[in-house]
Amino acid sequence: MLRHSHRRELFLALRVGALAALASVIAPAVEFGRDVQPLLADRCFACHGPDAAQRQAGLRLDIRSAALAPTASGRVPIQPGDPDGSEVLRRASSSDPVLRMPPAYMGHQPLAPEDLETLRAWIEAGAEYQTHWAFVPPERPAMPATSIQDWPRASLDGFVLARLETERLAPSAEATTGQWLRRMMLDLNGLPPTPGDLEAFNQAVELRGERAYAEAVDRALSSPRYGERMAMDWLDVARYADTHGFNNDSERSMWRWRDWVIDAFNRNQPYDRFIVEQLAGDLLPQPTLEQRLATGFNRNHVINSEGGIIGEEYRVEYVADRVRTLGMAWLGLTFECARCHDHKFDPISQKDYYRLFAFFDNVPEIGEAGRVANAVPMMPAPTADQRRQIASLQSRIDSLEPAEKELADAWEPSISDLQSLLIPDYPSNADFFFGCEEGEPPGIAGRGCRAQEIKREDKVKLEEHGAFTLSLWLHADDRQPDAPVFSAINYAPDPVSTNHGNGIELRWVDGEVELRMSKRFPSYSMTVRSDGANLERGQWRHVTALYEGSEGKTSMRAQAAWTRLFIDGQEVATRVLHDDVQGGGRFVAPYRIGQDNSRSGHRFLGRVDEVAIWKSALSEGEIRDVFEASAVPWARDRADFEIERKWLYRKLRPPGESEDLRRSLFALRRSLPTTMVMEERPERRQSRVLMRGRYDSPGEAVEPGVPETLLGHWPEGAPRDRLGLAMWLTAPSHPTTARVVVNRFWQQLFGVGLVKTSGDFGLQGETPSHPDLLDQLALNLIESGWDVKRLLRTIVLSATYRQDSAVSPDRRSRDPENRLLARGPRIRLPAEAIRDQALAIAGQLSGRVGGPSVRPYQPDGLYDGIVVGASYPGTTWEQDDGEDLYRRSLYTFWKRTLPHPTMTVFDAPDREFCTVQRSTTNTPLQALTLMNDPTFVEAARKLAERVIQEAGPRPADRITLAFTLAAGRRPEFEELRVLVESFQRLRDSYSGNDEEARELLGVGESDTDTALDPEELAAYTALANLILNLDEVITKG
Amino acid sequence: MTCNHFTPCLSRRDLLVRSGYGLGAACLHMLGASNAVAKPAFPNFVPKAKRVIFLFQSGGPSHVDLFDPKPLLEERFGEDIPDSIFGGQRVTGMVAHQARFQVMPTKYKFARHGQSGTEVSELLPHTAKIVDDICLIRAAHTEAINHDPAITFFQTGSQLPGRPSMGSWVDYGLGTANENLPAFVVLHSVASEGPGGQGLLARLWGAGFLPSRHQGVQFRSHGDPVLYLSDPPGMTRERRRTVLDGAAVLNKLHYQRVGDPEIETRIEQYEMAYRMQASVPELMDISSEPESVYELYGPDSRKPGTFAANCLLARRLAERDVRFVQLYHRGWDHHGELPKRLPVSARDTDQPSAALVRDLRQRGLLEDTLVVWAGEFGRTPYAQGALKPDNYGRDHHGRCFSLWMAGAGIKTGHVHGTTDEYGFNVVEGAVSIYDIQATILHLLGIDHEKLVYRFQGRRFRLTDTEGDVIRQILA
Repeated sequence: MLRHSHRRELFLALRVGALAALASVIAPAVEFGRDVQPLLADRCFACHGPDAAQRQAGLRLDIRSAALAPTASGRVPIQPGDPDGSEVLRRASSSDPVLRMPPAYMGHQPLAPEDLETLRAWIEAGAEYQTHWAFVPPERPAMPATSIQDWPRASLDGFVLARLETERLAPSAEATTGQWLRRMMLDLNGLPPTPGDLEAFNQAVELRGERAYAEAVDRALSSPRYGERMAMDWLDVARYADTHGFNNDSERSMWRWRDWVIDAFNRNQPYDRFIVEQLAGDLLPQPTLEQRLATGFNRNHVINSEGGIIGEEYRVEYVADRVRTLGMAWLGLTFECARCHDHKFDPISQKDYYRLFAFFDNVPEIGEAGRVANAVPMMPAPTADQRRQIASLQSRIDSLEPAEKELADAWEPSISDLQSLLIPDYPSNADFFFGCEEGEPPGIAGRGCRAQEIKREDKVKLEEHGAFTLSLWLHADDRQPDAPVFSAINYAPDPVSTNHGNGIELRWVDGEVELRMSKRFPSYSMTVRSDGANLERGQWRHVTALYEGSEGKTSMRAQAAWTRLFIDGQEVATRVLHDDVQGGGRFVAPYRIGQDNSRSGHRFLGRVDEVAIWKSALSEGEIRDVFEASAVPWARDRADFEIERKWLYRKLRPPGESEDLRRSLFALRRSLPTTMVMEERPERRQSRVLMRGRYDSPGEAVEPGVPETLLGHWPEGAPRDRLGLAMWLTAPSHPTTARVVVNRFWQQLFGVGLVKTSGDFGLQGETPSHPDLLDQLALNLIESGWDVKRLLRTIVLSATYRQDSAVSPDRRSRDPENRLLARGPRIRLPAEAIRDQALAIAGQLSGRVGGPSVRPYQPDGLYDGIVVGASYPGTTWEQDDGEDLYRRSLYTFWKRTLPHPTMTVFDAPDREFCTVQRSTTNTPLQALTLMNDPTFVEAARKLAERVIQEAGPRPADRITLAFTLAAGRRPEFEELRVLVESFQRLRDSYSGNDEEARELLGVGESDTDTALDPEELAAYTALANLILNLDEVITKG
Repeated sequence: MTCNHFTPCLSRRDLLVRSGYGLGAACLHMLGASNAVAKPAFPNFVPKAKRVIFLFQSGGPSHVDLFDPKPLLEERFGEDIPDSIFGGQRVTGMVAHQARFQVMPTKYKFARHGQSGTEVSELLPHTAKIVDDICLIRAAHTEAINHDPAITFFQTGSQLPGRPSMGSWVDYGLGTANENLPAFVVLHSVASEGPGGQGLLARLWGAGFLPSRHQGVQFRSHGDPVLYLSDPPGMTRERRRTVLDGAAVLNKLHYQRVGDPEIETRIEQYEMAYRMQASVPELMDISSEPESVYELYGPDSRKPGTFAANCLLARRLAERDVRFVQLYHRGWDHHGELPKRLPVSARDTDQPSAALVRDLRQRGLLEDTLVVWAGEFGRTPYAQGALKPDNYGRDHHGRCFSLWMAGAGIKTGHVHGTTDEYGFNVVEGAVSIYDIQATILHLLGIDHEKLVYRFQGRRFRLTDTEGDVIRQILA
């Protein structure tokens, strides 16, 4: 371990001096922004602030001119230079409870004597107001002068040191190489260095000095672990989860968005683009799949599928959630307060709130949604690997098609061809058949039937989850956007009722066919549409919809994966528009041909014939037979028509390889993960102020807009949509965005932000501990092109970050939270890192990046009596096996209403809403978890195996390795003595207790190295359990 | 003196310095100057209740079939609820398609009981025997009409997620009163109808924006009663002691180097965990309870995980001074087949609830234990679905519903509030959810307007900006 001993001595000397001087710290003059405004905001503005509706006695103290003007009573609230003539101070210091402000009768405490002194001093000095610091764009601060010259390594250190010198404090000594390396790697990768890393780093420092530090940082920043670590914090902010929340809390699929975040950090996407794409990726010109995927940020909110809720009530909540998240994540302002009334503290009116709200109010979404899968709008989101497969299949198809097409186009049927045609029998086993020509044999008679209701009582009773095949001929007479071809959905009940829209339907949508399967329309329905069928009017075409049924699979699950469409007996590509119906569908009599019973009463302009339903899934061959039984005789006489000639060609020259490839492609497309995204409705919804924030009390109409006087002008020419909003937010002159962003990264490294209230930079938030430093970092971020890696690199290489975290009792009591930064950070690791580290040092951690969330060990029966009593996806915990037990914790399935207990016990939030800061608690439940959770017991066993295998025969060497792996340093002599003694006691205890030893070794699914002596291994396992429970190990120090 | 052994926030040395404060106040102090609004220590005044047992009936028990007799419904069977009564009632999507909202009387008989003559339904024969010990409130109302928002409102003071639960607020304000158990314990039961029911949510016992140590701790009826309580197989108590002793020495050595008091706290937490490994199984082991107790609570009380067994555990937790015990029982959501299903829910809960009150009284614990029996809303006096006298259903109803409270500082043999002849609207003595919350806090000695936490620039209270203590029900 290297220590810069000369520095240490210098600081020791300084420290003594500084401590002696503590008593004589001079209080600086009163500053409005730092001292007065927070006081007024906290104690006065609720009744005498921006909220006009709540304003008492006509008195307003948030604006200087108002505060200086005489009130109706003739008294002057604030008389600059004359505290005793100022009514505010007179009332605030009154001993008469009737007169005193804030009023005792409302339960308020009087102002503290020091607060009264602050007010007095401020009024005496002229009662000057200043714009709240956060609303003034950052300005490049002058570098402060410091008396110590050789400490700073980066400009940021100068600001820290200047503040320390004002406080007459000296920085702490530099951390050891090992301490810094571990701290840095835990911060940037969420994982500790290996003993090999430590050794290599020490050697590099010997050889290359300072450069070795930078190289180590660059290695950490270029590791894929970096993106995972950075994503961890962002998932809290973005309220990412694998379930929808609320009492049904069923599964959703947003992991493609999560993986986008990991990737964005890993490729160091400029942070302004990170904002733009998440807010408005879909509105960028020709958005890429990734850019649309990114907008899932604003769909991560909770979604309610409780039967019978009023949809609009919750749709409004989703929009409000987006405003709240925007406020906390990037604006650093709590807009939420202005939802029901003008903000009491910050100058944000209720109208301002709803103008911001209007940006997010135009999504084609449904209030009651997300019962068994993703809610609309959503899209298929193939992974990079899947996209490669799709591209490869497509290119092979493309390479075969021209030749096939050429052959087909050139083909002319010969007489012998036509004579050789075999006509299959129409399958006679249909459960329902309706032909338009009574008594006629099957065949397209050319007439078909027009819109009509089939009143026959022989309804097909389809079991839930049961397979079916629906086939028919259709002939569109005209172009039409959306019309029912065959409808067995009951749209009659009121759309607000849970009975609206139960059944199955085949529709014509602009030349495509669409199968709709619905429990309740549109909330719980499935819509699968052909993609590229381009059916034209004036032709008879055959359509088959095949639902393979989910029986024996998972019943309560999205159904589109089992739904296929065929045109003219040949499978076609499909697109899933909505996939949130549980348990398949049912046919509901009466059936309607060419019409439905919705209020709008659409009709199909055309004819339909030979409607058949099977209560089973026909094979591809059978589907072709159904088609050909009618098509071949019809086409034989019409071989000079293009479509019919194609049918004959296909019949006589069965398709080759391209057909198989197409089938593989369709199957692959059906299996793609989906993800929820943002979209805009074609016709803009008129947003309105909602009185008292209620969905059913709309008021004045509002257009999208931002509080420009507060936070800067709308960029010229920017569209009035989310894209414009993102441009405004990322404009270099925006006062809060960059500050909020750097502050949160600072918080990630130091535990507390420069602004402690990292989600609120408004009047009720805390003022920055180092305002100039905050501005410097914010401006540097902007000027670097929003380069996050560069920002983090600067900070972790700074002298400030490189300080030792050890602290004397005196210095600690002086600054318990380390706001002055006179020492390095010392913080318990976040929940994810505690588990990941244990798996890593045990050699178990999987390095696989991304993919669907996994289910590692979780106590049995955790959901009993709590989760909803319906078998929706996400209501059971089916534990994974093998590698998935040991993935990084950010991949652990996140059930919002009952997250994994090892997460919540270590302070992870439930992610029902945006969280910008976790609490850090210290509880016995944490101790129990680290002691007994099978994850940690198994990790102890694997760590024990590892040190036995790697460290030679001596217990002291093995124990040293185990400790070094876990703590990032070799044990001191005394520590090793304690560990060896504990080990000896444990070894003696397990000795001759083979059975108990094997019991301990049996915890966890991984194999135990059978070559090792179980009793010895058990003793090392128990010792490793001890090491994994040490405070130092679960702490970044 | 120690600060809240279960969730200490101070080192011993810090405590000595601040020993002039109450237990809770000392904890508040450490929450950080920016969050803990300067306020007097809790309790604000001498509390009537030292602890609360909340018997939550999830799903919405039908007040018209259980607690609030309405003979008029019989006369008006099948008629529409008059517009004057219906008013602007928001209806759920489950009945929105109904053309009519027809009066549906209860199938169950009501009778007067006890000296107070309180009327309850024949479905509650055991509750009938304790009517003189409880205060029945018939005039509760809530704004929410669906389960998730309604239950979240009752338990956290807001229909939307994000606020701390009532138990967390109480733990935050008062801290713990015992050294070996958490201050806020949660028990879930499985109904005899089966494991179905509306989903419950960890937020109902979550800490919201309060430090997460204030979240409720679930005690489970199978597996480890507290998650990860048991040592792994092959790890005897003696070996665990060796491991913890070694860890404690190493932690102390490290503390000497780095000076972070969190390390001292952690050492204490491990000791507390070790003690819990003994105290929790002792608590959960009801085998030593005499036969008379099982008789009192009913046969289900022998079956772990039933509401009856949990009521018995609640009494044992009260004996050990656990501050807030939260029970949940599901299955009250009787949209259909009410006459078949309601008796099952009633049978599951009636005897154990009454037994708990009687048991607490016998042991002198009822004097300072508040028992609350409530669901998130009531059910409609009109039928959901077909109008059959023997097989009807009822939808959610928030405009009025019934609940009861008993124990510390609550009037006995009292009925508070009345509803109209249809059991549709409150007529007199309206009690909001905020009022109930304010009253519970009041009995614990907390002025609900003073229990404040500042988060993201706003001062939050359990009761938001509302709530009045229901003085009329206080003894």
